Amino acid sequence: MSFSSEIKHYLSVYKKFISTSTAVAMSFRTSFVLMVMMDLMFFGSAYFTVDFIFDHVDMVMGWNRNQFMLFLSYVLLVDGFHMIILSQNFWRFSDDLKSGQLDYTILRPLSSIFSVFFRNVRPSSIPTLIPAIVVFSYYANINNFSLFQWLLVPLLLILSLALLAVVEFVISCAMFWLVEGVGINFFRMQMQQLSRWPDLIYGAATKRVFSTLVPILLVGSAPIHFLLDMSKWHYLLLMVVATGVFWFILLKLWERGLQVYDSASS
Amino acid sequence: MSNLIKWWQTIKISIVKYTAYRLNFFLQIIGPALVFLFIKYNLWTAIFESTGSDTIKGYTLKAMLTYHVWAFVVSQLAQGHTALNLALDIRMGRISTYLIYPFNFWEFHTASFIGFQIIQLFVTGFAIFLFSIIGILPSVDLPTLLNGVGVCLFVSLFWFSLQYLTGVMAFWLEETWILRVMLQMITVFLSGAIIPLELYPDFFREILMYTPFPYLTYYPIKVFMGEAVSYATFFSVLSPWLILVSVISALTWRRGIKLYTAAGM
Repeated sequence: MSFSSEIKHYLSVYKKFISTSTAVAMSFRTSFVLMVMMDLMFFGSAYFTVDFIFDHVDMVMGWNRNQFMLFLSYVLLVDGFHMIILSQNFWRFSDDLKSGQLDYTILRPLSSIFSVFFRNVRPSSIPTLIPAIVVFSYYANINNFSLFQWLLVPLLLILSLALLAVVEFVISCAMFWLVEGVGINFFRMQMQQLSRWPDLIYGAATKRVFSTLVPILLVGSAPIHFLLDMSKWHYLLLMVVATGVFWFILLKLWERGLQVYDSASS
Repeated sequence: MSNLIKWWQTIKISIVKYTAYRLNFFLQIIGPALVFLFIKYNLWTAIFESTGSDTIKGYTLKAMLTYHVWAFVVSQLAQGHTALNLALDIRMGRISTYLIYPFNFWEFHTASFIGFQIIQLFVTGFAIFLFSIIGILPSVDLPTLLNGVGVCLFVSLFWFSLQYLTGVMAFWLEETWILRVMLQMITVFLSGAIIPLELYPDFFREILMYTPFPYLTYYPIKVFMGEAVSYATFFSVLSPWLILVSVISALTWRRGIKLYTAAGM
Protein backbone atom coordinates (compact mmCIF):
# COMPACT_ATOMS: atom_id res chain seq x y z
CA MET A 1 0.00 0.00 0.00
CA SER A 2 1.40 3.42 -0.96
CA PHE A 3 1.80 6.09 1.70
CA SER A 4 -1.10 8.20 0.39
CA SER A 5 -3.52 5.28 0.17
CA GLU A 6 -2.46 4.20 3.65
CA ILE A 7 -3.25 7.70 4.97
CA LYS A 8 -6.61 7.54 3.20
CA HIS A 9 -7.28 4.16 4.77
CA TYR A 10 -6.46 5.43 8.27
CA LEU A 11 -8.57 8.55 7.76
CA SER A 12 -11.55 6.47 6.71
CA VAL A 13 -11.13 4.29 9.81
CA TYR A 14 -10.84 7.39 11.97
CA LYS A 15 -14.06 8.73 10.46
CA LYS A 16 -15.76 5.52 11.62
CA PHE A 17 -14.22 5.92 15.08
CA ILE A 18 -15.67 9.44 15.28
CA SER A 19 -19.14 8.39 14.16
CA THR A 20 -19.36 5.40 16.51
CA SER A 21 -18.00 7.41 19.48
CA THR A 22 -20.52 10.18 18.77
CA ALA A 23 -23.36 7.65 18.57
CA VAL A 24 -22.32 6.13 21.91
CA ALA A 25 -21.95 9.57 23.55
CA MET A 26 -25.36 10.67 22.31
CA SER A 27 -27.12 7.57 23.58
CA PHE A 28 -26.41 8.61 27.20
CA ARG A 29 -27.58 12.22 27.10
CA THR A 30 -27.42 12.96 30.83
CA SER A 31 -23.80 11.78 30.93
CA PHE A 32 -23.12 13.89 27.84
CA VAL A 33 -24.53 17.05 29.46
CA LEU A 34 -22.69 16.34 32.73
CA MET A 35 -19.43 15.91 30.83
CA VAL A 36 -19.91 19.26 29.11
CA MET A 37 -20.53 20.84 32.52
CA MET A 38 -17.51 19.10 34.01
CA ASP A 39 -15.19 20.39 31.28
CA LEU A 40 -16.57 23.92 31.57
CA MET A 41 -16.05 23.80 35.34
CA PHE A 42 -12.47 22.72 34.81
CA PHE A 43 -11.97 25.63 32.45
CA GLY A 44 -13.54 28.07 34.90
CA SER A 45 -11.53 26.89 37.90
CA ALA A 46 -8.23 27.03 35.97
CA TYR A 47 -9.02 30.50 34.65
CA PHE A 48 -10.18 32.04 37.92
CA THR A 49 -7.32 30.57 39.94
CA VAL A 50 -4.82 32.57 37.87
CA ASP A 51 -7.16 35.57 37.75
CA PHE A 52 -7.43 35.68 41.54
CA ILE A 53 -3.66 35.41 41.93
CA PHE A 54 -3.12 38.35 39.57
CA ASP A 55 -5.50 40.45 41.68
CA HIS A 56 -2.62 40.57 44.17
CA VAL A 57 0.52 40.57 42.03
CA ASP A 58 1.57 42.41 38.87
CA MET A 59 4.15 39.99 37.52
CA VAL A 60 5.15 36.36 37.97
CA MET A 61 8.75 35.73 36.93
CA GLY A 62 8.65 38.45 34.27
CA TRP A 63 5.22 37.63 32.85
CA ASN A 64 2.34 40.03 33.42
CA ARG A 65 -1.33 39.05 33.60
CA ASN A 66 -1.82 39.24 29.83
CA GLN A 67 1.16 37.03 29.05
CA PHE A 68 0.25 34.55 31.78
CA MET A 69 -3.35 34.39 30.57
CA LEU A 70 -2.16 33.87 27.01
CA PHE A 71 -0.18 30.88 28.26
CA LEU A 72 -3.12 29.57 30.28
CA SER A 73 -5.61 29.87 27.44
CA TYR A 74 -3.17 28.16 25.08
CA VAL A 75 -2.71 25.27 27.51
CA LEU A 76 -6.48 25.01 27.94
CA LEU A 77 -6.86 24.87 24.16
CA VAL A 78 -4.34 22.03 23.95
CA ASP A 79 -6.19 20.41 26.82
CA GLY A 80 -9.52 20.78 25.01
CA PHE A 81 -8.22 19.01 21.91
CA HIS A 82 -6.57 16.40 24.12
CA MET A 83 -9.90 15.74 25.85
CA ILE A 84 -11.69 15.33 22.52
CA ILE A 85 -9.15 13.17 20.71
CA LEU A 86 -7.20 11.23 23.33
CA SER A 87 -8.30 11.37 26.97
CA GLN A 88 -10.85 8.55 26.91
CA ASN A 89 -8.45 6.09 25.30
CA PHE A 90 -5.94 5.92 28.14
CA TRP A 91 -8.59 4.71 30.60
CA ARG A 92 -9.93 2.23 28.07
CA PHE A 93 -6.41 0.93 27.48
CA SER A 94 -5.91 0.05 31.16
CA ASP A 95 -9.31 -1.70 31.19
CA ASP A 96 -8.57 -3.57 27.95
CA LEU A 97 -5.23 -4.81 29.27
CA LYS A 98 -6.90 -6.18 32.39
CA SER A 99 -9.88 -7.73 30.62
CA GLY A 100 -8.01 -9.14 27.63
CA GLN A 101 -9.96 -6.95 25.20
CA LEU A 102 -6.64 -5.85 23.73
CA ASP A 103 -6.56 -9.16 21.82
CA TYR A 104 -9.18 -7.85 19.40
CA THR A 105 -7.23 -4.63 18.88
CA ILE A 106 -4.01 -6.45 18.10
CA LEU A 107 -5.76 -8.67 15.56
CA ARG A 108 -6.98 -5.72 13.48
CA PRO A 109 -5.11 -4.93 10.23
CA LEU A 110 -4.17 -1.53 11.65
CA SER A 111 -1.36 -0.10 13.74
CA SER A 112 -2.19 -1.20 17.29
CA ILE A 113 -0.94 2.16 18.63
CA PHE A 114 -3.48 3.89 16.40
CA SER A 115 -6.28 1.54 17.41
CA VAL A 116 -5.55 1.83 21.13
CA PHE A 117 -5.02 5.58 21.44
CA PHE A 118 -7.39 6.95 18.80
CA ARG A 119 -10.33 4.57 19.07
CA ASN A 120 -12.50 6.70 21.36
CA VAL A 121 -13.36 10.30 20.64
CA ARG A 122 -15.14 12.47 23.21
CA PRO A 123 -17.48 14.92 21.46
CA SER A 124 -18.75 16.29 24.79
CA SER A 125 -15.51 18.24 25.15
CA ILE A 126 -16.07 20.24 21.96
CA PRO A 127 -18.08 23.00 23.74
CA THR A 128 -15.06 23.69 26.00
CA LEU A 129 -13.13 24.78 22.95
CA ILE A 130 -15.41 27.79 22.52
CA PRO A 131 -14.41 29.66 25.72
CA ALA A 132 -10.80 28.52 25.23
CA ILE A 133 -10.69 29.98 21.70
CA VAL A 134 -12.44 33.20 22.81
CA VAL A 135 -10.09 33.73 25.76
CA PHE A 136 -7.00 32.87 23.70
CA SER A 137 -8.05 35.25 20.92
CA TYR A 138 -8.69 38.00 23.46
CA TYR A 139 -5.25 37.68 25.03
CA ALA A 140 -3.51 37.16 21.67
CA ASN A 141 -5.06 40.45 20.60
CA ILE A 142 -3.92 42.20 23.77
CA ASN A 143 -0.42 40.82 23.18
CA ASN A 144 -0.52 42.37 19.67
CA PHE A 145 -0.25 39.21 17.60
CA SER A 146 0.77 39.78 14.00
CA LEU A 147 -0.79 37.84 11.11
CA PHE A 148 2.27 35.58 11.06
CA GLN A 149 1.83 34.76 14.76
CA TRP A 150 -1.84 33.99 14.19
CA LEU A 151 -0.95 31.66 11.33
CA LEU A 152 1.57 29.89 13.51
CA VAL A 153 -0.94 29.11 16.25
CA PRO A 154 -2.64 26.08 14.57
CA LEU A 155 0.74 24.56 13.72
CA LEU A 156 1.99 25.08 17.26
CA LEU A 157 -1.19 23.55 18.65
CA ILE A 158 -0.64 20.43 16.54
CA LEU A 159 2.98 20.25 17.68
CA SER A 160 2.01 20.68 21.35
CA LEU A 161 -0.68 18.04 21.08
CA ALA A 162 1.70 15.64 19.31
CA LEU A 163 4.35 16.08 22.00
CA LEU A 164 1.86 15.72 24.84
CA ALA A 165 0.34 12.64 23.20
CA VAL A 166 3.61 10.86 22.55
CA VAL A 167 4.87 11.49 26.12
CA GLU A 168 1.60 10.14 27.49
CA PHE A 169 1.71 7.11 25.18
CA VAL A 170 5.19 6.31 26.50
CA ILE A 171 4.02 6.67 30.11
CA SER A 172 1.02 4.44 29.36
CA CYS A 173 3.31 1.66 28.13
CA ALA A 174 4.14 1.04 31.82
CA MET A 175 0.66 -0.52 32.07
CA PHE A 176 1.95 -3.58 30.18
CA TRP A 177 4.16 -4.39 33.15
CA LEU A 178 1.65 -3.61 35.92
CA VAL A 179 -1.37 -5.57 37.05
CA GLU A 180 -3.37 -2.41 37.76
CA GLY A 181 -2.98 0.43 35.24
CA VAL A 182 -5.22 3.04 36.87
CA GLY A 183 -2.33 4.44 38.93
CA ILE A 184 -0.35 5.05 35.73
CA ASN A 185 -3.27 7.08 34.41
CA PHE A 186 -3.15 9.21 37.53
CA PHE A 187 0.61 9.63 37.07
CA ARG A 188 0.01 10.68 33.45
CA MET A 189 -2.53 13.24 34.62
CA GLN A 190 -0.04 14.63 37.10
CA MET A 191 2.42 15.20 34.26
CA GLN A 192 -0.35 17.20 32.56
CA GLN A 193 -0.81 19.18 35.77
CA LEU A 194 2.86 20.13 35.72
CA SER A 195 2.56 21.36 32.13
CA ARG A 196 -0.40 23.59 32.94
CA TRP A 197 1.94 26.07 34.64
CA PRO A 198 4.71 27.90 32.76
CA ASP A 199 8.26 26.61 33.11
CA LEU A 200 9.16 29.98 34.66
CA ILE A 201 7.73 29.01 38.02
CA TYR A 202 9.90 25.92 38.42
CA GLY A 203 13.44 25.77 39.77
CA ALA A 204 16.38 25.18 37.41
CA ALA A 205 16.69 21.45 38.09
CA THR A 206 12.96 20.78 37.70
CA LYS A 207 12.89 22.83 34.51
CA ARG A 208 15.80 20.84 33.09
CA VAL A 209 14.31 17.44 33.94
CA PHE A 210 10.85 18.28 32.63
CA SER A 211 12.13 19.94 29.48
CA THR A 212 14.49 17.14 28.48
CA LEU A 213 14.05 13.77 30.22
CA VAL A 214 10.25 14.02 30.37
CA PRO A 215 9.67 17.08 28.14
CA ILE A 216 6.21 17.84 29.47
CA LEU A 217 6.96 21.50 30.24
CA LEU A 218 7.64 22.16 26.55
CA VAL A 219 4.00 21.45 25.67
CA GLY A 220 2.69 24.87 26.71
CA SER A 221 5.73 26.92 27.65
CA ALA A 222 7.79 26.47 24.47
CA PRO A 223 5.15 27.77 22.00
CA ILE A 224 4.28 30.75 24.19
CA HIS A 225 7.93 31.68 24.74
CA PHE A 226 8.32 31.57 20.96
CA LEU A 227 5.10 33.48 20.21
CA LEU A 228 6.02 36.21 22.67
CA ASP A 229 9.62 36.43 21.46
CA MET A 230 10.33 35.04 17.98
CA SER A 231 14.06 34.96 18.65
CA LYS A 232 13.48 31.99 20.97
CA TRP A 233 13.12 29.55 18.08
CA HIS A 234 15.26 26.97 19.87
CA TYR A 235 12.19 26.12 21.96
CA LEU A 236 10.44 24.85 18.83
CA LEU A 237 13.49 22.88 17.80
CA LEU A 238 13.49 21.27 21.24
CA MET A 239 9.82 20.36 20.83
CA VAL A 240 10.36 18.74 17.44
CA VAL A 241 13.40 16.78 18.66
CA ALA A 242 11.59 15.69 21.83
CA THR A 243 8.56 14.51 19.83
CA GLY A 244 10.82 12.50 17.49
CA VAL A 245 12.83 10.94 20.31
CA PHE A 246 9.72 10.01 22.28
CA TRP A 247 8.07 8.53 19.17
CA PHE A 248 11.12 6.31 18.74
CA ILE A 249 11.02 5.30 22.43
CA LEU A 250 7.30 4.58 22.09
CA LEU A 251 7.80 2.22 19.14
CA LYS A 252 10.46 0.26 21.05
CA LEU A 253 8.49 0.14 24.30
CA TRP A 254 5.26 -0.79 22.53
CA GLU A 255 6.97 -3.69 20.81
CA ARG A 256 8.36 -4.91 24.14
CA GLY A 257 5.03 -4.35 25.83
CA LEU A 258 3.14 -6.47 23.32
CA GLN A 259 5.69 -9.24 23.88
CA VAL A 260 5.02 -9.30 27.63
CA TYR A 261 1.25 -8.84 27.19
CA ASP A 262 -0.47 -11.91 28.54
CA SER A 263 -4.04 -12.01 27.32
CA ALA A 264 -6.44 -12.24 30.24
CA SER A 265 -9.21 -13.63 28.07
CA SER A 266 -7.42 -16.63 26.58
CA MET B 1 -20.89 -8.55 69.01
CA SER B 2 -21.13 -10.65 65.82
CA ASN B 3 -21.88 -7.45 63.92
CA LEU B 4 -18.71 -5.88 65.31
CA ILE B 5 -16.71 -8.86 64.05
CA LYS B 6 -18.21 -8.38 60.58
CA TRP B 7 -17.22 -4.71 60.65
CA TRP B 8 -13.70 -5.54 61.78
CA GLN B 9 -13.27 -8.27 59.15
CA THR B 10 -14.51 -5.95 56.40
CA ILE B 11 -12.16 -3.20 57.55
CA LYS B 12 -9.26 -5.69 57.44
CA ILE B 13 -10.23 -6.89 53.95
CA SER B 14 -10.50 -3.30 52.78
CA ILE B 15 -7.00 -2.49 54.09
CA VAL B 16 -5.60 -5.55 52.30
CA LYS B 17 -7.40 -4.59 49.08
CA TYR B 18 -6.17 -1.00 49.11
CA THR B 19 -2.61 -2.01 49.77
CA ALA B 20 -2.46 -5.03 47.45
CA TYR B 21 -1.07 -2.93 44.60
CA ARG B 22 1.14 -0.53 46.49
CA LEU B 23 2.52 1.36 43.50
CA ASN B 24 -1.02 1.84 42.24
CA PHE B 25 -2.13 3.07 45.66
CA PHE B 26 0.75 5.54 45.77
CA LEU B 27 0.15 6.82 42.22
CA GLN B 28 -3.60 7.06 42.66
CA ILE B 29 -3.98 8.42 46.18
CA ILE B 30 -0.76 10.02 47.40
CA GLY B 31 0.98 10.94 44.12
CA PRO B 32 -1.56 13.51 42.87
CA ALA B 33 -1.56 15.38 46.19
CA LEU B 34 2.26 15.38 46.26
CA VAL B 35 2.49 16.76 42.71
CA PHE B 36 -0.15 19.36 43.60
CA LEU B 37 1.94 20.37 46.60
CA PHE B 38 5.10 20.48 44.47
CA ILE B 39 3.41 22.81 41.92
CA LYS B 40 2.08 25.09 44.64
CA TYR B 41 5.49 25.20 46.33
CA ASN B 42 7.12 26.30 43.06
CA LEU B 43 4.30 28.69 42.18
CA TRP B 44 4.30 30.57 45.46
CA THR B 45 8.08 30.66 45.68
CA ALA B 46 8.11 32.19 42.19
CA ILE B 47 5.33 34.66 43.06
CA PHE B 48 7.05 35.91 46.21
CA GLU B 49 10.36 36.13 44.36
CA SER B 50 8.70 38.19 41.60
CA THR B 51 6.79 40.64 43.75
CA GLY B 52 9.65 41.40 46.10
CA SER B 53 6.97 41.91 48.75
CA ASP B 54 7.21 40.15 52.13
CA THR B 55 3.51 39.47 52.46
CA ILE B 56 0.53 38.85 50.21
CA LYS B 57 -2.79 39.30 51.99
CA GLY B 58 -1.13 38.66 55.32
CA TYR B 59 0.77 35.58 54.21
CA THR B 60 4.55 35.49 54.23
CA LEU B 61 6.19 32.95 51.92
CA LYS B 62 6.76 30.66 54.91
CA ALA B 63 3.13 30.94 56.04
CA MET B 64 1.93 30.32 52.48
CA LEU B 65 4.05 27.18 52.15
CA THR B 66 2.93 25.97 55.57
CA TYR B 67 -0.68 26.54 54.45
CA HIS B 68 -0.13 24.32 51.43
CA VAL B 69 1.66 21.57 53.34
CA TRP B 70 -1.35 21.43 55.67
CA ALA B 71 -3.59 21.44 52.57
CA PHE B 72 -1.79 18.26 51.53
CA VAL B 73 -2.44 16.72 54.96
CA VAL B 74 -6.11 17.72 54.84
CA SER B 75 -6.56 16.31 51.34
CA GLN B 76 -5.11 12.99 52.48
CA LEU B 77 -7.15 12.74 55.67
CA ALA B 78 -10.41 14.31 54.64
CA GLN B 79 -10.99 13.66 50.97
CA GLY B 80 -10.77 9.97 50.23
CA HIS B 81 -11.54 8.12 47.03
CA THR B 82 -13.85 5.39 48.19
CA ALA B 83 -16.93 5.67 45.99
CA LEU B 84 -15.53 4.16 42.78
CA ASN B 85 -16.28 0.55 43.70
CA LEU B 86 -19.67 1.53 44.98
CA ALA B 87 -20.92 2.73 41.58
CA LEU B 88 -19.29 -0.25 39.87
CA ASP B 89 -21.07 -2.62 42.26
CA ILE B 90 -24.40 -1.20 41.14
CA ARG B 91 -23.57 -1.06 37.44
CA MET B 92 -22.11 -4.55 37.29
CA GLY B 93 -24.96 -6.04 39.28
CA ARG B 94 -22.72 -7.00 42.20
CA ILE B 95 -25.09 -5.55 44.80
CA SER B 96 -27.21 -8.68 44.47
CA THR B 97 -24.87 -10.33 46.95
CA TYR B 98 -25.38 -7.56 49.52
CA LEU B 99 -29.11 -8.04 49.29
CA ILE B 100 -28.82 -11.55 50.67
CA TYR B 101 -25.77 -11.10 52.96
CA PRO B 102 -26.29 -10.29 56.64
CA PHE B 103 -24.09 -7.22 56.14
CA ASN B 104 -25.71 -4.62 53.93
CA PHE B 105 -24.40 -2.40 51.16
CA TRP B 106 -24.04 0.71 53.34
CA GLU B 107 -22.30 -1.22 56.13
CA PHE B 108 -19.86 -2.81 53.69
CA HIS B 109 -18.86 0.47 52.06
CA THR B 110 -18.68 2.35 55.34
CA ALA B 111 -16.40 -0.35 56.74
CA SER B 112 -14.25 -0.05 53.58
CA PHE B 113 -14.14 3.69 54.11
CA ILE B 114 -12.94 3.19 57.70
CA GLY B 115 -10.25 0.81 56.41
CA PHE B 116 -9.14 3.46 53.92
CA GLN B 117 -9.05 6.10 56.66
CA ILE B 118 -6.84 3.88 58.84
CA ILE B 119 -4.30 3.60 56.00
CA GLN B 120 -4.50 7.34 55.40
CA LEU B 121 -3.87 8.06 59.08
CA PHE B 122 -0.61 6.13 58.86
CA VAL B 123 0.35 7.69 55.53
CA THR B 124 -0.40 11.21 56.78
CA GLY B 125 1.34 10.62 60.10
CA PHE B 126 4.45 9.57 58.19
CA ALA B 127 4.14 12.60 55.87
CA ILE B 128 3.85 15.02 58.82
CA PHE B 129 6.89 13.40 60.44
CA LEU B 130 8.85 13.69 57.15
CA PHE B 131 7.80 17.31 56.51
CA SER B 132 8.81 18.23 60.07
CA ILE B 133 12.20 16.53 59.72
CA ILE B 134 13.03 18.32 56.46
CA GLY B 135 11.83 21.58 57.98
CA ILE B 136 8.92 22.55 55.76
CA LEU B 137 6.47 22.27 58.62
CA PRO B 138 6.94 24.33 61.77
CA SER B 139 6.66 22.43 65.03
CA VAL B 140 3.11 21.87 66.11
CA ASP B 141 1.88 20.93 69.57
CA LEU B 142 0.01 17.70 70.16
CA PRO B 143 -3.43 19.20 71.09
CA THR B 144 -3.43 21.31 67.89
CA LEU B 145 -2.44 18.28 65.85
CA LEU B 146 -5.17 16.16 67.41
CA ASN B 147 -7.75 18.93 66.92
CA GLY B 148 -6.77 19.14 63.25
CA VAL B 149 -6.97 15.39 62.76
CA GLY B 150 -10.35 15.29 64.51
CA VAL B 151 -11.74 18.05 62.31
CA CYS B 152 -10.38 16.30 59.20
CA LEU B 153 -12.00 13.01 60.18
CA PHE B 154 -15.33 14.78 60.57
CA VAL B 155 -14.87 16.34 57.12
CA SER B 156 -14.00 12.89 55.76
CA LEU B 157 -17.39 11.63 57.01
CA PHE B 158 -19.13 14.40 55.11
CA TRP B 159 -16.95 13.72 52.04
CA PHE B 160 -17.74 10.00 52.21
CA SER B 161 -21.47 10.75 52.46
CA LEU B 162 -21.24 12.97 49.38
CA GLN B 163 -19.34 10.29 47.49
CA TYR B 164 -21.80 7.66 48.62
CA LEU B 165 -24.63 9.78 47.27
CA THR B 166 -22.90 10.19 43.89
CA GLY B 167 -22.19 6.43 43.90
CA VAL B 168 -25.82 5.41 44.39
CA MET B 169 -26.77 7.69 41.49
CA ALA B 170 -25.44 4.77 39.41
CA PHE B 171 -29.00 3.40 39.53
CA TRP B 172 -29.92 6.15 37.06
CA LEU B 173 -26.65 7.22 35.45
CA GLU B 174 -24.37 5.36 33.05
CA GLU B 175 -21.28 7.05 34.52
CA THR B 176 -21.00 8.43 38.06
CA TRP B 177 -17.30 9.28 37.87
CA ILE B 178 -18.31 12.52 36.15
CA LEU B 179 -20.21 13.61 39.26
CA ARG B 180 -17.27 12.62 41.45
CA VAL B 181 -14.80 14.57 39.32
CA MET B 182 -17.13 17.59 39.30
CA LEU B 183 -17.43 17.41 43.06
CA GLN B 184 -13.67 17.16 43.42
CA MET B 185 -13.08 20.08 41.05
CA ILE B 186 -15.61 22.37 42.73
CA THR B 187 -14.29 21.47 46.16
CA VAL B 188 -10.65 22.01 45.25
CA PHE B 189 -11.45 25.41 43.78
CA LEU B 190 -13.92 26.70 46.36
CA SER B 191 -12.45 25.25 49.55
CA GLY B 192 -9.16 27.11 49.50
CA ALA B 193 -7.10 24.10 48.45
CA ILE B 194 -5.39 25.93 45.55
CA ILE B 195 -5.12 29.41 47.01
CA PRO B 196 -6.11 30.63 50.49
CA LEU B 197 -9.60 32.11 50.60
CA GLU B 198 -8.18 35.49 51.71
CA LEU B 199 -7.00 35.93 48.11
CA TYR B 200 -10.49 35.55 46.66
CA PRO B 201 -12.55 38.67 45.91
CA ASP B 202 -14.38 39.85 49.05
CA PHE B 203 -17.92 39.40 47.72
CA PHE B 204 -17.09 35.88 46.53
CA ARG B 205 -15.61 34.91 49.88
CA GLU B 206 -18.69 36.20 51.70
CA ILE B 207 -20.94 34.01 49.52
CA LEU B 208 -18.65 31.03 50.05
CA MET B 209 -19.02 31.28 53.82
CA TYR B 210 -22.69 30.27 53.45
CA THR B 211 -21.65 27.04 51.72
CA PRO B 212 -19.89 23.98 53.22
CA PHE B 213 -16.84 24.42 50.96
CA PRO B 214 -14.56 26.52 53.22
CA TYR B 215 -15.06 23.96 55.97
CA LEU B 216 -13.68 21.16 53.81
CA THR B 217 -10.13 22.51 53.47
CA TYR B 218 -9.65 26.10 54.62
CA TYR B 219 -10.99 25.63 58.16
CA PRO B 220 -9.08 22.38 58.89
CA ILE B 221 -5.87 24.07 57.65
CA LYS B 222 -6.47 26.98 60.00
CA VAL B 223 -6.95 24.52 62.87
CA PHE B 224 -3.62 22.85 62.05
CA MET B 225 -1.97 26.27 61.81
CA GLY B 226 -3.13 26.96 65.38
CA GLU B 227 -5.27 29.95 64.43
CA ALA B 228 -8.43 30.88 66.32
CA VAL B 229 -11.24 29.00 64.66
CA SER B 230 -14.83 28.73 65.81
CA TYR B 231 -15.49 25.02 66.24
CA ALA B 232 -19.13 25.85 66.95
CA THR B 233 -19.46 27.42 63.49
CA PHE B 234 -17.60 24.53 61.89
CA PHE B 235 -19.83 21.84 63.37
CA SER B 236 -23.05 23.85 63.14
CA VAL B 237 -22.51 24.37 59.39
CA LEU B 238 -21.19 20.95 58.44
CA SER B 239 -23.43 18.75 60.65
CA PRO B 240 -26.75 19.74 59.02
CA TRP B 241 -25.16 19.22 55.61
CA LEU B 242 -23.92 15.79 56.70
CA ILE B 243 -27.40 14.85 57.93
CA LEU B 244 -29.06 16.21 54.78
CA VAL B 245 -26.71 14.33 52.43
CA SER B 246 -27.11 11.11 54.45
CA VAL B 247 -30.91 11.35 54.35
CA ILE B 248 -30.88 12.02 50.59
CA SER B 249 -28.50 9.04 50.13
CA ALA B 250 -30.84 6.74 52.07
CA LEU B 251 -33.86 7.91 50.06
CA THR B 252 -31.93 7.58 46.79
CA TRP B 253 -30.92 4.02 47.70
CA ARG B 254 -34.51 3.15 48.56
CA ARG B 255 -35.79 4.52 45.23
CA GLY B 256 -32.89 3.07 43.29
CA ILE B 257 -33.16 -0.46 44.60
CA LYS B 258 -36.69 -0.62 43.18
CA LEU B 259 -35.24 -0.02 39.72
CA TYR B 260 -32.44 -2.56 40.13
CA THR B 261 -32.52 -5.48 37.71
CA ALA B 262 -29.44 -7.50 38.80
CA ALA B 263 -27.49 -7.31 35.55
CA GLY B 264 -24.78 -9.54 36.98
CA MET B 265 -27.05 -12.45 37.82
